Amino acid sequence: MSTLTKILIVLLTLSSIFLCGIVVNYVANAENYKEKSGGLNRRLQIAVEKKKSADQQLSDKTKIYLQEEEKLKNEIASLTIQVKELQGNLTDIEREKALLLQKVSAMVSSVETSSQTAEQQRQLFVETFAKLNKADAELIKQKKILDETSTELLRKMAIIETLEIDKKRLLEKNTELQKGLNQLLLSRGEVIAEPAPVTRERGPARWLKPPAVKEIGLKGLITAIDLKNSMASISIGTADGVKMGMKFYVTRGNEFICELLIIDVDAEEAVGVLELVQQQPRAGDNVSTNL
Amino acid sequence: MSPDGRNRPGKLIASSNLYTAILALSFCVVLATAVFVAYKCYLQYGTIFKIP
Repeated sequence: MSTLTKILIVLLTLSSIFLCGIVVNYVANAENYKEKSGGLNRRLQIAVEKKKSADQQLSDKTKIYLQEEEKLKNEIASLTIQVKELQGNLTDIEREKALLLQKVSAMVSSVETSSQTAEQQRQLFVETFAKLNKADAELIKQKKILDETSTELLRKMAIIETLEIDKKRLLEKNTELQKGLNQLLLSRGEVIAEPAPVTRERGPARWLKPPAVKEIGLKGLITAIDLKNSMASISIGTADGVKMGMKFYVTRGNEFICELLIIDVDAEEAVGVLELVQQQPRAGDNVSTNL
Repeated sequence: MSPDGRNRPGKLIASSNLYTAILALSFCVVLATAVFVAYKCYLQYGTIFKIP
């Protein structure tokens, strides 16, 4: 074996050892790309699934969003319509407010005129009251005059009575004198002629007979009571002769309950106000115009 | 090198000397490396000669 061969063998051995070392080192430290690829694939798969689910959620959310958007648009449209209606109502109400303000100002002016009228009425009342007082004073004066006249009349009547008595006495005296004179004249054969009266004789004064009265005699029953307003209704009306202003007496057996002043009359019933209530009336009590 | 080996026609006789050992060593190293690489390749990729 030549030297060169030996040298080549040694070099070859060294280089092969060196290269094998490098290769072993490289292979030992190399990454397991298959595992890495598998891991990345798995991660990719997971990511793809997540993306699918996310897309699905996105589409769902988009649908929901679109629905909500549609709903909100509809609500906005309806609210816009409501706003327009409310604006219309507002203008109407403002118009009404203006009208009412006008009415209020008119009422204020009418109140002012009413107060002026009331003031005038009060002054009128004061003047009338003064006139009334004057009339009362006049009445009192007239009453006094009347009393004086009455006393004067009584005095005159007393004087007339005394004069009547004197007249009677004088007439009797006259009669006696006439008798004496007649006797005297008869003895001489003469008579006295009857004197003719100067004035026409009048009959004595007499009272005028008062007009005959008879009882009304309406009878009925109480049909309803309203104690709150002190009113009652009865079972008779205009058909039976009941009139407004009539007074009925409410009785129960022999007991007097109250009085009823008729204020409203119908054909078959009448309504009245309770007065002089002694006991509480009730339906079925008797009512009559005479006790 | 032995002159005896060369002179016998048709027969090769391996002479046992240092350089044979060195060659054998390098051969073993290369073989071990190849085996190691093949093993690693198979372990990682499941194949030795095909492209995974």
